[in-house]
Parts: sequence; structure tokens; C-alpha cells
Amino acid sequence: MATTEERIRKLVDDNLEIEGREAGTPLHTDYSLRDSGISSVDFVAFAKLVADEFGVSFSPDDCANYNTVGELVSRLDS
Amino acid sequence: MTAQAPGNMDPGAPDAHRWWSPFLVSGEVAVTHVDLAPHPTREVVAQSWLDEVELARWGNYASEPRRRFVLCRAALRSLLCEELGCPNAQLGFQESEYGKPFALVAGQPAPISFNVSHSGSHGLIACAPHGRLGIDVEEIAPRPHLASLIEAVMAPGEQAELGLLSGDAQLCQFFRLWTCKEALIKALGTGFSTDISKLYVPAGLRLGERTGVFRFEHLPAVSWLLEDISGEGFAAALARELPER
Repeated sequence: MATTEERIRKLVDDNLEIEGREAGTPLHTDYSLRDSGISSVDFVAFAKLVADEFGVSFSPDDCANYNTVGELVSRLDS
Repeated sequence: MTAQAPGNMDPGAPDAHRWWSPFLVSGEVAVTHVDLAPHPTREVVAQSWLDEVELARWGNYASEPRRRFVLCRAALRSLLCEELGCPNAQLGFQESEYGKPFALVAGQPAPISFNVSHSGSHGLIACAPHGRLGIDVEEIAPRPHLASLIEAVMAPGEQAELGLLSGDAQLCQFFRLWTCKEALIKALGTGFSTDISKLYVPAGLRLGERTGVFRFEHLPAVSWLLEDISGEGFAAALARELPER
């Protein structure tokens, strides 16, 4: 079964175009989506995708509160 | 030519390093366009105007958002220094609980309202003496996952209307509606705790009018003037609170 980090990475690779990122490469735990330059519309849509994927209530504000991928994964695993 | 720090500029002097210009005026709100195209000289000048907190933030960004941030923040500093009559060194920023920035002069909240947005090579800064306002700009560029974006952020009726369009018409209308929604959310100042897919852009604006009045369901006593201020190659919207009658 895919880990939370792998599921997040797939959501990122399938839905976001991030400067300098190659699809399939690991997402470092200290990687910050907020600082990556993705647009607000992508950010809002990504939060919805995370909510759907993990079956949790998860607003874009919640997403913005997690500074790094590691913090996001920890929240989803808790 | 050496650029002067904001607050020390002579407004009448030609300045090759001035990368922002008036865009429009709506009521008491002045909107400034900021040219965010790559320009190493401007970026160095802009960087020299930022404070330590901003430089730390600048350092965390990838290269493109870094450029947009530094050029836009330096332009904002210049505009606010001119409006407030303060030197750059006295100007600082803080964020509200929901992340909306506000200006400080010598550590005290400044009597000015502003909002900033940037996308691609376009930045917009809205500035007014008072009142809540929000602005959003999005460069219109093809999106590989437009259908899923529409589903994620548009209300059911808006999704149906967008479904009747295709190609560039659909893309432009999507960004028009999105910028309207984001400008409203930014004006309200509560971040994305409001579900944007439940907001309907006023019908007239959806049909192509340039202005409309909006009210949030949970805040029916407050009216917001919403304006489509799109330009060449970008969609943009300005939202401002209307005075109570």
C-alpha cells in the first residue's frame, strides 16, 4: 500500500506544475508548497484533492498552515 | 544610474528603475501595475529596499516566485512611503491572524489599506486611505487540468455555465470568475476558510458586465463592489467594501 508521502507526491505530480521539479522524484520532507510558486488557484484545488484522497476535512487554510510536506504528511498520518 | 530608496525619491525625476505605473483609479482606490518580467538590475535594486524579515522570506522562494516577490514588495514599499510620507527604514509589515498583511510605520499600524497580487509578469497593487479591499490577478495561460480546477473552485451553476464554453473562451471566463472570487476572499481578510466553491460571482459579471455588487451569505449587511479590471493577457478583479447606507 502506498505511503502518505507517496500519495501526496502523486497528487503533486498529477496536478501541479512546479518550477524545477521533475515528476516522480522524491518530495523532501522540508519541501514547502507555499514557497514553490504555485498559484492560489492551484493551491485551493490541491487542498480539495488532498481532502478527497484522504477522506478528511481539509481547507486551503489548513493546507497553508503546514509549512512543509513533512508537516502535511504528519498531520494526515495522525 | 543609482536608484534611490523609496521615500527618498523625487517623484518628478525620470527613473529607469521604476518598474511600476498607474493602472486605474476606482473611487478612492488607486491600482498600480508592476512589471515583473525578469530584470536582474531591478531585482538587485529591489532587494536592497527589503528589511531582514522580507529578505529571509525572499531566500526561501524558488527563483520565479522570488523575483515576483521582490519586485512587487519593493514597488509596494515605494508606494506606501509616498502615501504615508515616511522613510523606507520606518516601514514594516505584519500579518493578521488570517495572513492578510498590513503596514506599520515606526512599529505602529499605518492609516492605509492595501492589497497585492501577482501572477506571471504582472503584479497589481491596490491602495486606499481606508476600507477593506482585495485584488487578484492571474496571467491567462493554458492549464492542463482545467476541468478539475473548475470542479474544485466553481459553484455548481458556474460549472454548468463554463461547461457551455470551450477553448480560450472557457479559459478566460474561468480566470475572470476565479479572480473575482479571490479578490472577495482577500477583501474579507479571512483567507480561504470560506469555501470558495460555494460563492457565486454576481450574475451580471458572469455574463460579461464589468461591475457587480456582492454579499457574503454570512455577512448580508455588508456590500462589496466587485470590478473586473482584466487587461491584456491577464484576468484581474478588485473588490472593495461599500459604505453602509
